[in-house]
Amino acid sequence: MSKFKRVKKYKSDEKVTAKTFLKPAIYLLPFILGILVFTVYPFFNAVAISFKEDYKVISDTFSGWGLGNYQKIFSDPTFIKAIINTTQYVLVVVSISLVISILIAVMLNSVEKLQGLFQTAYFMPMVTSSAAIGLVWRWLFNYDYGILNYLLSLFDVDAINFLNNPQYSMISLCIYGVWSMLPFTIILLLAGLQNIDPQYYTAAKVDGAKTIDIFFNITVPLLAPTIGLVAIVNMISSFKVFDALYMLFGGKPGPAYNLYTVIFYLYEQFYTKLKLGYAAASAIVLFAIILLFTMVQNRIQKKYDYY
Amino acid sequence: MRVKVKNLTKRFGEVTAVNSLTAEFESGKLIALLGPSGCGKTTMLNMLSGILPVTEGQIFFDEKDVTDLTPDKREVGLVFQNYALYPHMTVLENICFPLKIKKVSKAERIERAKEFAKMVHIEEYLNRKPKELSGGQQQRVAIARALVKNPKLLLLDEPLSNLDAKLRVEMREEIRRIQRESGVTTFFVTHDQEEASAISDYIMLMKLGEMQQYDKTRNLYNQPANLFVADFIGSPTINQLHGVYTKGGIKVDGDNQIIKTNHKWQVEEGSRVVLASRAEAITFNDKDDVKTKVVESYLSGKDTLVNLKIGSYNLRGYIDATKPIKIGDNLNIGFKTEGVFLFDELTGERYYE
Ligand SMILES: Nc1ncnc2c1ncn2[C@@H]1O[C@H](COP(=O)(O)OP(=O)(O)OP(=O)(O)O)[C@@H](O)[C@H]1O
Ligand SMILES: [Mg+2]
Repeated sequence: MSKFKRVKKYKSDEKVTAKTFLKPAIYLLPFILGILVFTVYPFFNAVAISFKEDYKVISDTFSGWGLGNYQKIFSDPTFIKAIINTTQYVLVVVSISLVISILIAVMLNSVEKLQGLFQTAYFMPMVTSSAAIGLVWRWLFNYDYGILNYLLSLFDVDAINFLNNPQYSMISLCIYGVWSMLPFTIILLLAGLQNIDPQYYTAAKVDGAKTIDIFFNITVPLLAPTIGLVAIVNMISSFKVFDALYMLFGGKPGPAYNLYTVIFYLYEQFYTKLKLGYAAASAIVLFAIILLFTMVQNRIQKKYDYY
Repeated sequence: MRVKVKNLTKRFGEVTAVNSLTAEFESGKLIALLGPSGCGKTTMLNMLSGILPVTEGQIFFDEKDVTDLTPDKREVGLVFQNYALYPHMTVLENICFPLKIKKVSKAERIERAKEFAKMVHIEEYLNRKPKELSGGQQQRVAIARALVKNPKLLLLDEPLSNLDAKLRVEMREEIRRIQRESGVTTFFVTHDQEEASAISDYIMLMKLGEMQQYDKTRNLYNQPANLFVADFIGSPTINQLHGVYTKGGIKVDGDNQIIKTNHKWQVEEGSRVVLASRAEAITFNDKDDVKTKVVESYLSGKDTLVNLKIGSYNLRGYIDATKPIKIGDNLNIGFKTEGVFLFDELTGERYYE
């Protein structure tokens, strides 16, 4: 009964011949070439490198195939810590930003007039250079002059050294992470909300439901497919957390080198230590983790196909 | 529950969807809201349910003024034109939903939901999702969901419009039965006069936001208040001969004879009028003297439906199929007392005797 039907897959009834194949192939060629050169080749190359023992970049030599790189990184406490940090960060940031975004999106969706204004406002973080944003956030987090500490002081909370106290660095990173995730998340959720036929709200009202009943019984379940999609996209992007870290702590993984993430570890192995094998292996491990999460997510998602 | 509306008006900017409508609807009856598309039926229904705020006027449920109550406080059941079943809930959950909101215990709401599911014959489908049901089944779920909270008022907005002809007839009988069994005052929106006549105790006929007539279903047919009602109700459509009232009869445009009937209408000489007659009010007796010409004839059951020409107008009547009828024949007809009405051509007002 919904007006949103699944897109049908149409098959062309034209026969595929060398001639009909050639023209579209030529159109696609630049794109395919780009993918091959910049995505497919590096991926397989990374997989290969991760299995090469004692790989040297400069001379492009290695002593043999094996699991040495993996053994090495898994016995490195920094890498283990990086995985734990990253997973923590992902779970906290993705869930908190989702909850906040759902509330904001539902509010925005109900006040049509504000939407234009807000659309610009919450797009800002997406189009502003991340270096500038990092700088701004360093100021917001500043111990002596930062606005966050000022706000806390209004509630008689002692100033927190967000950026320099290792105890709080994870919190700072998460605050920043949530903030940067909101715009994209809100926009996707708004799109999802606009796909919900308003008659369900009307029907629920006639059935006696109050705003809060409608939110939990109608809006959230009907938004679930979008929520799932956003969750997975956000999860993938936050597993790759790096910029935020690099900027907030001035190029260090936390004030006391306490906040390694998988990508930061990879970056360090690659650029600073030139251990390409370790870098590649950690990339593959991250890939496997993301793949796993995605598969689990997809499995859950199947349940929410209502239409 | 008795429903009363007083000067009920709804405007959308320039458009007046419902215009100062006053009526009283008896308790426990099935009332059809009938009228052509865009005449304000849905608007009327939505104001009764509380979905739409009224622009002016009042709504009373029994003696209580409910004009400003939100839908959740009105205790009405509403069946939407496209059912609006919650797609993420099973049939059982859909029916339970109004009770869940009322915080009825789980065991009790399931029991009551099952009771109503049985009443509308969908008890086999309780665990299906709405998308796995046919249109007719979905509709019955929607009715069960509307009834389960024991509403004081049941509102149905063109609930049969998505169904095929056979299912339509079946479902309207079903609705009639369910309404009788539950005894709930019911409004049923439709633009199909046949459907309205078949199902309802009363009909309210609307046109452009104005009530044309509210009466017992039979009376709309037998005693139409104006030409619009006479024209809208009945199949085949009522015969309409336009002409001038002169010398105690009607001179139809394009014809010379003056038609006299046994009515004593109070009409001024020279008025433009419409003589309206039901097909079954046309007689073909030997002493009948209104001259017509046969244009067409079709067999219709034991009778022949003849299409006759009189002046510039056509007229239909039922004649005994044993009588030989040829196209082009001259045929004399007469008018019965019942089923024949005279209206003012301009205003459509009816002339009474
Ligand atoms: N939300 C709205 N905004 C503006 N005009 C409206 C709105 N809803 C209805 N109208 C207008 O009010 C009039 C009555 O509409 P309504 O939906 O009540 O008609 P209806 O009798 O239910 O017709 P149908 O048989 O086609 O469903 C129409 O002219 C319609 O265009
Ligand atoms: Mg309507």
